[in-house]
Amino acid sequence: MSNPTSADVVIVGTGVVGVSIAETLLDAGLSVLMLEAGPRVSRAEVVENFRNLPLALKGDPSSCYPPAAWAPHPMASIETKEDAYLQLSGPDRYAQSYIRYAGGSTWHWAGTCWRLTPEDMRLKTLYGVGRDWAIDYQTLEPYYTRTEYALGICGPSEPAEQWPPLSEGAARSKPYPMPPLPFGPGEQRFTDVVKTLGYSNIPTAQARNSGTSYDDRPACCANNNCVPVCPVGAKYDAATALSRIEAKGAKITANAVAYRLETDGANRVIAVNYFDQNKASHRVTGKLFVLACNGIETPKLLLMSANARNPNGLANSSDQVGRNMMDHPQLTMTLTLAEPYWAGVGPVVNSGIMETSQGAFRSEHAGAYFRFNNFARNRFVTFGALKKGLVGKALDAEIRRMTACTADVVLAHEVLPDPNNRLTLSDKKDWLGLPKPAIHYDVGDYTRKSAEVYSVPIGKRIAQAMGATDIKLSPQFNQSKHIMGGTIMGLDHKDSVVDADCRAYDHDNLFLPGGGAMASTACGNSTITMVSLAFKAADAMVRQMKGA
Amino acid sequence: MALSRRKFLLGATVTGAWVTWGALPAWGVGATASSAQFMEVSKLLINHQLDETVGARIAAAAAKKYPQCAQMLTSIAALAQAKQAKQVEDFFGDIPEGPLQEFAHWVIFAWYSGCSSPKKDAQLFTFEHALTYKTTADTVAMPSYGFSGPNLWSRPIVPLSNMPIF
Repeated sequence: MSNPTSADVVIVGTGVVGVSIAETLLDAGLSVLMLEAGPRVSRAEVVENFRNLPLALKGDPSSCYPPAAWAPHPMASIETKEDAYLQLSGPDRYAQSYIRYAGGSTWHWAGTCWRLTPEDMRLKTLYGVGRDWAIDYQTLEPYYTRTEYALGICGPSEPAEQWPPLSEGAARSKPYPMPPLPFGPGEQRFTDVVKTLGYSNIPTAQARNSGTSYDDRPACCANNNCVPVCPVGAKYDAATALSRIEAKGAKITANAVAYRLETDGANRVIAVNYFDQNKASHRVTGKLFVLACNGIETPKLLLMSANARNPNGLANSSDQVGRNMMDHPQLTMTLTLAEPYWAGVGPVVNSGIMETSQGAFRSEHAGAYFRFNNFARNRFVTFGALKKGLVGKALDAEIRRMTACTADVVLAHEVLPDPNNRLTLSDKKDWLGLPKPAIHYDVGDYTRKSAEVYSVPIGKRIAQAMGATDIKLSPQFNQSKHIMGGTIMGLDHKDSVVDADCRAYDHDNLFLPGGGAMASTACGNSTITMVSLAFKAADAMVRQMKGA
Repeated sequence: MALSRRKFLLGATVTGAWVTWGALPAWGVGATASSAQFMEVSKLLINHQLDETVGARIAAAAAKKYPQCAQMLTSIAALAQAKQAKQVEDFFGDIPEGPLQEFAHWVIFAWYSGCSSPKKDAQLFTFEHALTYKTTADTVAMPSYGFSGPNLWSRPIVPLSNMPIF
């Protein structure tokens, strides 16, 4: 069967943003064609890949997703400097991991779904730093709710345990569709301990079925394997939606690497060109176009599409495409504890201290959120225990002790948009001859100061209260793999790439929804906000198409 | 009549005239180690039930990694027998430091980690039978093999002293 070549809407990318938009458009009666750079695989195949990895690779969320030659993605654990996909420079490494597979990076996300707060969206007005959003929280709230029901996000019904806290301007329009998941023993102990310091460790709102099936997916049964893959599909990932949207009429072409968008004399997008896995070029046309291939691949494709009318790349008259790259710079405290906590019972991320992300201090430095990483520890401690040369009962006891009595507490920070944190096209080429992304990055003084005067001191107090006998703090910021900012949203086309509907200012039929549009990061994971922006953009597309 | 290798080793150990295994002639020892021989020694080095299929995989890798694998297995077995060892603690201290002890540690490493080394290109022998997971099987599920039903993981902290039997 030949691949389709035209549709009302062409969507590049089949991750959570792409499929959420696709389903909205299909439900509105529009035709949808989706292009996915990478392959389409089964869950069983990914799970078997994970099980067959050597222990040293089991902690890497990308290792069971080998990249296709034509659709490379970062593989930090095994790639060499010579074959690295991301070309990184600057004081801090923007070392992201993401997957170019049908279903995108939700394959290996933890499912964490913290909303922004109203304050998070008004940093400039309230604290004199960063940027305000082009929309306010009340505008976004219905889309948050819609996302919670579309993805199946569980969360607490008690207002004291919800995020953001109930306040004027932060009311929820509907309860979560499912109750929160229970805590494992380590999380419960962590919760009790931080309470003595005055902090509330609250249940994570997460796209995972709690105690019941939802959306034709089973209940979570604590495989503790959400990252790198949920073996049973209890966690939402976009791959779970692919068959459903196909049943509604979506056409999905895998192994299709978009490399150029074409524009006409009115500077409207008219086609996408892509290479297949045999390096043959194809062309698809549509009325509206959506780039939903994440905050790195989307700006890269826009820059690659430069033409005579758009010499700096598409959507880039503001010169902001590829700028303001953001993430949640994180530090990890690896603790040795006097008594067992038993991380690894339940889902991998199940709770967090969010209140530390807010406050008047944000005029001076970043906020931070703290979480007890609930990954089973065996994979991290086994080599260390064996290296001690123990045998027999002593070896068994040491593995058991290190599994129970070590823990990772993560300090995740916000970062400000900085135009100097910039993605450009490298002169290094991939297998298809397309430029690799080059990214210069510096977390900035705002975030560094937080670690110095705020987050690390709090972290150490928590560690002490937990009974830590040893604290190892990561020596530099690591990335949380929450890619934000490369196609930033704003009210002014001179300093922004997209408007409040994620429509490109320069092309009225091109939409760039997702993390790239986010104007601030806060501290919590970005996916729920990305999808909410996607639904808002999808509604705008439906209006645009129906009015046309 | 020539002494068998086992009798020679036993005599050397008992009389204190121990020499390192590498200096010994391979009297009576097959050129390659069998899976059965490997399992026999593995059971001396590890106080737990071991899976035969996994043992065959590790044995094959051991034979490639250690050209004198068969001799080393024989030496370890002899040391255990000399002590009439019932568990690894009874005789491990008698294994001389150096290549023989390193080999013994590698065998233990393979069974516990389920792979050939801590490197990222290690050979995988097993995931589900790796002994590291057995030490915590009463409370922590092996990743991807959940053992509790929906929402059934909220339970008290299990003491360290409750070592599972495996």
